[in-house]
Amino acid sequence: MQQSNGYIITFSVILTVVLGLLLSGTSQLLGPIQKKAVELDTKKQILGAVLESSKLNAMKSEEILEFYDNRISSKVVDYEGNEIEKDDDGNEIVAENVDVAKNYKLAPEKRKYPVFIFHQEGNEDDAEAIIVQLYGAGLWDEIWGFLALDTDLNTIEGVTFGHKGETPGLGARITEGSVQNRYQGKKIFDDSGEFQSVEMQKGEGKDYSGDDHKVDGLSGATITANGVNAMLENYLKAYKSYFEKRQKS
Amino acid sequence: MSTETAEVKETKASEALFSKRRKKLISDPLIDDNPITIQVLGICSALAVTTQMQPTLVMAISVIFVMVMANLTISLLRNTIPSRVRIIVQLAVVASLVTLVNEILKAFAYDMYKELSVFVGLIITNCIVMGRLEAFALGNKPYDSVLDGFGSALGYSWIILAVAFFRELLGSGSVFGVEIYDGISSLFGGEFSLATNGLMVSPVGAFIILGLIIWVQRTKTGYVEH
Amino acid sequence: MELFSLAIRSIFIDNMVFAYFLGMCSFLAVSKKVSTALGLGAAVIFVLTVTVPVNWLLNEFVLKEGALTWASASLAGVDLTFLRFIMFIAIIAAMVQLVEMVVEKFAPALYGALGIFLPLIAVNCAILGGSLFMAQRDYTLAESAVYGFGSGTGFFLAIVALAAIREKLKYSNVPNGLKGLGITMLLTGLMGIAFMSFMGIDL
Repeated sequence: MQQSNGYIITFSVILTVVLGLLLSGTSQLLGPIQKKAVELDTKKQILGAVLESSKLNAMKSEEILEFYDNRISSKVVDYEGNEIEKDDDGNEIVAENVDVAKNYKLAPEKRKYPVFIFHQEGNEDDAEAIIVQLYGAGLWDEIWGFLALDTDLNTIEGVTFGHKGETPGLGARITEGSVQNRYQGKKIFDDSGEFQSVEMQKGEGKDYSGDDHKVDGLSGATITANGVNAMLENYLKAYKSYFEKRQKS
Repeated sequence: MSTETAEVKETKASEALFSKRRKKLISDPLIDDNPITIQVLGICSALAVTTQMQPTLVMAISVIFVMVMANLTISLLRNTIPSRVRIIVQLAVVASLVTLVNEILKAFAYDMYKELSVFVGLIITNCIVMGRLEAFALGNKPYDSVLDGFGSALGYSWIILAVAFFRELLGSGSVFGVEIYDGISSLFGGEFSLATNGLMVSPVGAFIILGLIIWVQRTKTGYVEH
Repeated sequence: MELFSLAIRSIFIDNMVFAYFLGMCSFLAVSKKVSTALGLGAAVIFVLTVTVPVNWLLNEFVLKEGALTWASASLAGVDLTFLRFIMFIAIIAAMVQLVEMVVEKFAPALYGALGIFLPLIAVNCAILGGSLFMAQRDYTLAESAVYGFGSGTGFFLAIVALAAIREKLKYSNVPNGLKGLGITMLLTGLMGIAFMSFMGIDL
């Protein structure tokens, strides 16, 4: 059957209004819950660098948020290690909201670098660990992570990695606790104070416990491991001036 | 299917809630007229998430929801939709439903939302959805359309779940995240370990598994394509 | 250079068909003859190259969180990302329609070749997938144009190659159950293995 143009237009307008109302209604309704889900996800990842994952998973979402509020204070620094509080438009920057993927596209000197300080409850000056953000490319897609340094700003307390599309069973193992634990106790500066980073080696099964700058590799996932190495090197280097400034003060 | 019971009483005035004809609406797409293996529809979007069972299950549930609701909506509107703009109306309805699913996932299952990423959105262009709307919902009563949508989506779901089962088992040595391979090797005192097949987690694995499933299934039903 | 590597990536490594299974429906349905495959492939390149940048504009200036700031400062907090799917698909459908009309008017010969494929394309997953990936990966305008063209070309290569193989396949003795779809899936898998070899390219 052939309807008149008027009918078609009326029908389309009504349909558009109904669907529009439905969608914006849902978005309004679910918006706060979604924001909370995103927030929880970020905070969980940050805490993952200092807490055992089994402990973290046992916590309820409210507990995680509360723990985070009590124990973590955050700020944003630039490449020179100076704290920045406002972005170019004069809006306040929140470290948790810094989009690392977007910053990654800028030159290292122009990026914003969030720093999360894990401190004793109620005393922000009594820091236990400094957590920095990492980002880079794996074999297939982006990889990211958080790395916690001891207060000597040299010894690694813990790391947590995430990835979007690394091969399950091979590169994707970077998310496993047993792989991440290999970084604990490694150092990012050598004895003379030169920056050294920590490198995942090719091949798996060797013991590197005597070496401060090497960790055991992932068999079959050399490209992912190289991506992790590059990510650590790039970002730790970028945070270097901040570490030095903090060390002095 | 064998579970079908003989229910013959079909009167025009009131058809039984699950009459034989209606049961066929659900059971046909499962085997004999499967949307993937026989009709060659909708292979696109969902295969990409079949590396593991869990995201596949979420995907399957999303597809079932979208298809049932879309079929229902279009069928309810079937006498009012202007025929000249019906494709765009169908697209708008499907896109809205998919947006709903996406928003709900983002709010209540953020991990899954991240894992499925753009593939939830691609349900919109899944040919099965549009195909069933065009071929069935536009000309049938709401309840029948719901059954039809449910049947087709189910036929689709079990195929992608089967693909995911083999890919996860052979590729990662687990099912639903439960380590099967490790379990088997520890049963034998850990004297050997089963090797996972990296090809299965790559897209190639999905093509080959699906090809083999189609072979088995068509040999059983005797369907031959010329 | 960056753009060049993105083009290579989207054609060979992140191939729409082999890496993401997008556009499979038409990939399987229209790959029986090389000539029709050429037509569909060309139409996909065309539509992707047009729709991805257009959707980029839409995303950048209307849909993103705070994207409406250019219209009025009071709209800075508006986040319309929930309309992304429906707007993208609407733009795609409209663009396809528009392209169809323009091509028909100014290049009848091209219309004769592409004509029947254009309406099919509005519901091709590869087209919507291109736009969604663009939005998710935060491409710039130039990148999204290159990405659209690259992923279209990837699809073109895949479908033409498959059609060429299927033409030869007619003379092979394939088991009954595998005829048609089954053997095509296996073939696609083997082609995927061949395309995996591009992975090693360091860009």
